[in-house]
Amino acid sequence: MSRKPSSGLPAISSEDMCPVCKTIRYLNKDMEFLINPECYHSMCSNCVNRLFNDGPNQCPYAGCHRTLRRKGFRSAFFGDLSVEREVDIRRRVAAVFNQAEDDFETLRDYNNYLQMVEDLTFDLVSGSDAARRAAEATLQQWEAEHRADIERNRKAGREADEQSRRRLAAEREAARQRRVEALREAEEEKRERARSREAELDSLAKGEVVSAGGPAGGAQQRVQLKRRGQAAVNAAAASAAGTGAAAAAADVGRLSIRGLKEKKAPAPEGPYDPFGGMDFVPSRYKLHDGLSHPAIDKYKADPGHITGGYNFDDYTARALYEAFAGLAVFVEDEKEVGIGLSAGEVATISAGMIAVGDKMELD
Amino acid sequence: MAVTMTLDPIEQLNEDEKRKYIKGKKLGEGTYANVYLGHSRQDPSQLVAIKKIKVQQQYQDGMAPDAVRELKYLRELHHPNIISLLSVFSSKDQNLNLVLEYLPLGDLEMLIRDVDRVRYGAGDIKAWMGMLTRAVWFCHDNFVLHRDIKPNNLLIAADGEVKLADFGLARSFADPGRRMTANVITRWYRPPELLFGARHYGGAADIWSVGMVFAELIIRAPFLAGNTEVEQISLICKHIGTPTEDNWPGVTRLREYTVPSEVVPVWGKEAYMGRFGAVGADGVDLLVRTVALDPKKRITAREMLEHRWWRTDPKPTRKEDLPRKSGGGAEEKMGADLKRRNGILEDEANNSNSRGAKVARKLDFGQGK
Ligand SMILES: Nc1ncnc2c1ncn2[C@@H]1O[C@H](COP(=O)(O)OP(=O)(O)OP(=O)(O)O)[C@@H](O)[C@H]1O
Ligand SMILES: [Mg+2]
Ligand SMILES: [Zn+2]
Ligand SMILES: [Zn+2]
Repeated sequence: MSRKPSSGLPAISSEDMCPVCKTIRYLNKDMEFLINPECYHSMCSNCVNRLFNDGPNQCPYAGCHRTLRRKGFRSAFFGDLSVEREVDIRRRVAAVFNQAEDDFETLRDYNNYLQMVEDLTFDLVSGSDAARRAAEATLQQWEAEHRADIERNRKAGREADEQSRRRLAAEREAARQRRVEALREAEEEKRERARSREAELDSLAKGEVVSAGGPAGGAQQRVQLKRRGQAAVNAAAASAAGTGAAAAAADVGRLSIRGLKEKKAPAPEGPYDPFGGMDFVPSRYKLHDGLSHPAIDKYKADPGHITGGYNFDDYTARALYEAFAGLAVFVEDEKEVGIGLSAGEVATISAGMIAVGDKMELD
Repeated sequence: MAVTMTLDPIEQLNEDEKRKYIKGKKLGEGTYANVYLGHSRQDPSQLVAIKKIKVQQQYQDGMAPDAVRELKYLRELHHPNIISLLSVFSSKDQNLNLVLEYLPLGDLEMLIRDVDRVRYGAGDIKAWMGMLTRAVWFCHDNFVLHRDIKPNNLLIAADGEVKLADFGLARSFADPGRRMTANVITRWYRPPELLFGARHYGGAADIWSVGMVFAELIIRAPFLAGNTEVEQISLICKHIGTPTEDNWPGVTRLREYTVPSEVVPVWGKEAYMGRFGAVGADGVDLLVRTVALDPKKRITAREMLEHRWWRTDPKPTRKEDLPRKSGGGAEEKMGADLKRRNGILEDEANNSNSRGAKVARKLDFGQGK
């Protein structure tokens, strides 16, 4: 074995020894290896500085007579220098053969072109000397002949970059806009709701609303009741926050009422159940199609509701569900989680959540 | 003697909650929030994601409404395919922090885009679609519209379970007569009724998005990727069919109804077989039902789960065996985006001469650097 480093392309040796000055990495933790893509011979940064700081010099590897410059050195990205070299070659080829599919008449032509480029790359990377020289010549010739095209494609690539950056910015703006509108929607709704609640309270005061009525007729009112029920839960949680989370546990049955639908998933090896083992038929009431109520019927004929896909059965289902979930809990005015939320309310909610957690642990 | 600051009980509770978690490196950034990795102080192996809502000037004295939506709905929806909210606290400056379960395996978009390293088949698509459909069914069954379903809002848990996340645009089903905003759902996933400006809509709007995700899973590129609303509508007309009074009574009277003058008849199932045949005839049947133009005729989430596709071969892959993202990080995602722009991936799925496509991707190596 030669004492001088050979001119092949070794992977960086396992001991991480600089082949030029023989420093071993574990003696010098900060040692960094650099390569120069002229010949891919690696050496430590000390050697690079020592040999090339004063200007171009010959590669210290035996048999390698390349002239290297300090500025050409960089750290190797891949441990395997032949990979490093292949990546560089591919990068170089890709910069010259930069046609896009649009530049070709047919997909077939495009594929043939890609095939040709790949063959050429192969020759450059691992062909015999002759093949490599031929490929190098082809590359240079193509570059000379198509300089204008290449430049145009390069710019197109850059413009595509620019375009997509702009598009990305526009997307972000659109996403922001959507949030703003959802917010407006919520504000409108809150006002609307306050109005209708006032009207309802007025009529309640006048004794106009009776609890009977059709199933859906009662439902609308019960929805209100349910919301009041929710407020009760919130209020309870708030007071629990004052007296300790344990007290809240008693109230969380209602807080997490929707969780009632949750069931354990079946044993994993059973047949695939698209529903994931969950019950999906409401158990406490039966839903009849086409329940009607004058307040709803006027919308049923409205083209705006019909065409947009508004679903009245979903509405009655919700009204009924909420009615059954919040049966006649009637407390002080509801306080909705509306626009904005104070720190106190956040704490209230988290108190509720903690309580739920505690309760689940007890079960 | 130690001087103890007296906090009122609620503040104290908040303080306790906050102290339970330690915030770590940033995981990602959204329109309204930064998301950080975090862990429990008591048990550092218990990882969480802390979504810290960015301060918004206009809500100085309260919390941002997006966060409130997210909070309100996540608190109510407990389901294996919906991200769970573990806790919430406010930090200094009244910043709202949502503590969410940590979902370390990225999102469906990453998997769809990483054509080079992530290979998947019909059984995998079926499993992912099953989890998505369950999540949507559960939302709708609890009267919640999500309004932003898309691959990057479908996050993946360590065990492969897909979880619907980002409830920042969610709301409950509106009462009749109550107008909703039509400007929701990211454009590529937005249904025609919203593009036409409908103000009274329902769960069908989410179902369209589910259909778009389904199509995208199959062809591994967004199915209808319009750059503007107008372009989005014309893509729908071209690839699905032109909405007319015949196939969707009343549609021409929607506020923003405009379609290209050349009317394309609604494509039948056969037309989809070429491009989407990978999921079989039953899968295509389901897909076509999710993209019915008239929302009243669109399949519901429950009906989707009752469809025969789930029961035909191949079986949905077990979640533990589903393909995973390779390596980590944003750089990869960017790489995938760059490739996509080259226009190569669009044709890959149906390109019988896939050798060409592969070569092309190999060459992407050095570009964009
Ligand atoms: N639970 C989680 N586990 C791991 N990463 C997460 C989690 N939640 C969010 N992230 C990361 O943070 C990013 C932003 O989160 P998210 O989409 O919820 O925010 P957002 O403000 O609603 O964003 P946008 O509406 O722009 O999508 C996600 O793309 C994801 O990378
Ligand atoms: Mg998001
Ligand atoms: Zn050295
Ligand atoms: Zn050399």
